[in-house]
Amino acid sequence: MTERIAIVAAGVVTPIGQGLESFWSALLTGASGITPIERFPVDDLRVGRGGEIKKLSRMESWARVPDCRATRLLISAADELIAQSGGSPLAADAQRVAVVVGTALGGVEEGERALAGDRRRRRLRDALYDSPGHNLARWLGATGPVMTVSTACASGATALALGADLLRRDEADAVVAGGYDVLCRFVMRGFDALRSLTRDQVRPFDRRRSGLLLGEGAALVLLRRERDGRGRLGTLLGYGSASDACHVAAPDPEGRGLQRSMAAALAQAGLGPDDIDFVSAHGTGTPVNDRVETAALKRALGRRAYAIPVNSIKPSMGHTMGAAATLEAIMCLLASRHGVIPPTLHLEEPDPACDLDYVPGNPRPARPRVSLSTSLGFGGCNAALVLEGAA
Amino acid sequence: MRAPSLRALGFVSAWGPGAQALPADARQAAAGRPVLSLERPERAGDRYRRATRECLLGLTAVERMLEDASATRADIAGERTALIYVTAAAYGPSNLAFIERGGSGIHFAYTAPAVVPAEVAIEFGVTGPYTILLGGAPATLRAIAHAASLLQDGACDRALVLALEVFEECAALYARGRRLLGAPLVEAAGCLWLEPGQGELVLDRARGGRVRMDPTRRRLGESLSCEPLAGLALARERATGRLELRGAWRGERLRLTWTEARPTSPARVA
Repeated sequence: MTERIAIVAAGVVTPIGQGLESFWSALLTGASGITPIERFPVDDLRVGRGGEIKKLSRMESWARVPDCRATRLLISAADELIAQSGGSPLAADAQRVAVVVGTALGGVEEGERALAGDRRRRRLRDALYDSPGHNLARWLGATGPVMTVSTACASGATALALGADLLRRDEADAVVAGGYDVLCRFVMRGFDALRSLTRDQVRPFDRRRSGLLLGEGAALVLLRRERDGRGRLGTLLGYGSASDACHVAAPDPEGRGLQRSMAAALAQAGLGPDDIDFVSAHGTGTPVNDRVETAALKRALGRRAYAIPVNSIKPSMGHTMGAAATLEAIMCLLASRHGVIPPTLHLEEPDPACDLDYVPGNPRPARPRVSLSTSLGFGGCNAALVLEGAA
Repeated sequence: MRAPSLRALGFVSAWGPGAQALPADARQAAAGRPVLSLERPERAGDRYRRATRECLLGLTAVERMLEDASATRADIAGERTALIYVTAAAYGPSNLAFIERGGSGIHFAYTAPAVVPAEVAIEFGVTGPYTILLGGAPATLRAIAHAASLLQDGACDRALVLALEVFEECAALYARGRRLLGAPLVEAAGCLWLEPGQGELVLDRARGGRVRMDPTRRRLGESLSCEPLAGLALARERATGRLELRGAWRGERLRLTWTEARPTSPARVA
């Protein structure tokens, strides 16, 4: 077992709520953040709905913040993180504060704008995928390590793990880590071309599931070594990753990479399947993902897989890509804090191939102590986090 | 942190294969050319036809590493091999093409940074720990440190650190963003094979010295994430037991001090 890393505070910006309280409340009430997309043209696409954030409401002024949506999502989340951590997440020495963010798309929308004729040099700089992370560090006044990871839709998990590694290696005393992605024409066209988007509701693990919807958001946590003060939200116990080595855009049909990542996360945490109380699934609602994920969970957890609740929160806000894994990790910790597990929305007709307890219908009273959160992404990226909620 | 042992290094740049191809002064050798390119590697087979140039260059880098190690593909296959990929901008060409021309779902899939290591993982059967870092030379130094951590913790038996940059398709855009990047832009790809070692690895802030006067950069040109691998290739030629790699990007300057990274065959860089 490696050193435990405290999750001290969190901040989120999502289509269902900006701030932890509204995010959590929306998850429990079943509120939907899926709306027609208004920010860019979608008339030529099969599906024009998604989890679009209509207005970034938290910040009073965007003066001296780059006109880059990805950066602004991150800064909105960071603003709440600062508030949650008592006003300042920064250590006395700004050089000991690191920023690690995960993203599938980086600042690609800035590239779209540059190619559409916006000739400001800033556009090109922000089009590089690591720009929003550096912009966030500048806004925070953090001058320690700045890292951007891009394990596709598992990025938000990888970022937490690499942030924890910086603390374990004593390269930082505090790490602001998490994930983000924006909903833009680039990614909507792409998923439309892949025919992955549904015209129906997102229905993870349902027999009728027909695809995913995309969303945007940012989620950040403040990490510290647990010996430097116990976390108020919880603890990161373990992380595992693995490559499928199977296909550039589809998961391994057997879910072997996901299974390996879960095994590695449990090993790092020094725990076994019987220690897991709850699983936050990737649960995109595509026919392949949910079947593969169910099979991998059963192989990784054995009989325990049937005995514990498993949910997916993607139906309410869409798949937020780089933000998803961090949002789901935060959801796990909030479930521990509040003693209730958010339901998997729109799961009404169970698929016989998906035969675990997916928390359909209503929130489930339960206080999971240890949670497992799984993520998959393009390029055969698989990641798993093991988290412990603060008692 | 315990330093890994360097089993092998494959490196190719627009100047040619290995460190020996690097000119004494890249700016002078470029003679005003803003971008020096690598050709798309020729490969037969359907799977390679759909792959991007950068994906194929990634495969080439790993093959050169295997040559350097006198090893076979079977030696790196499996779940005990970690793969860490670094790039600052190699997703640029596929992003540009998809923004300007659109395309099918598979074209979109190839816009993801993750697709280069995915093709490497598929080609060589690498199924262990998997990480992708985006950024310039400091990201590669952090990738080496991450590999060292994985090896030290026993999460893998060997770790591959793959770095790759391509610029040609986006040359006009980079000309607009020249304040961010140096010149000439030199395409390169490299892969390290690291194994558990006994030396010491220290990653800290670099102080002093002008970035553009860095000896590796002077010989290679601007190659972002690939610069530390070129530095390592040059250091192997000198066969030193202690080496120092530096990297700078977006105001961050890092130094990686690596002792007992003694190469197995100092004169050869594939």
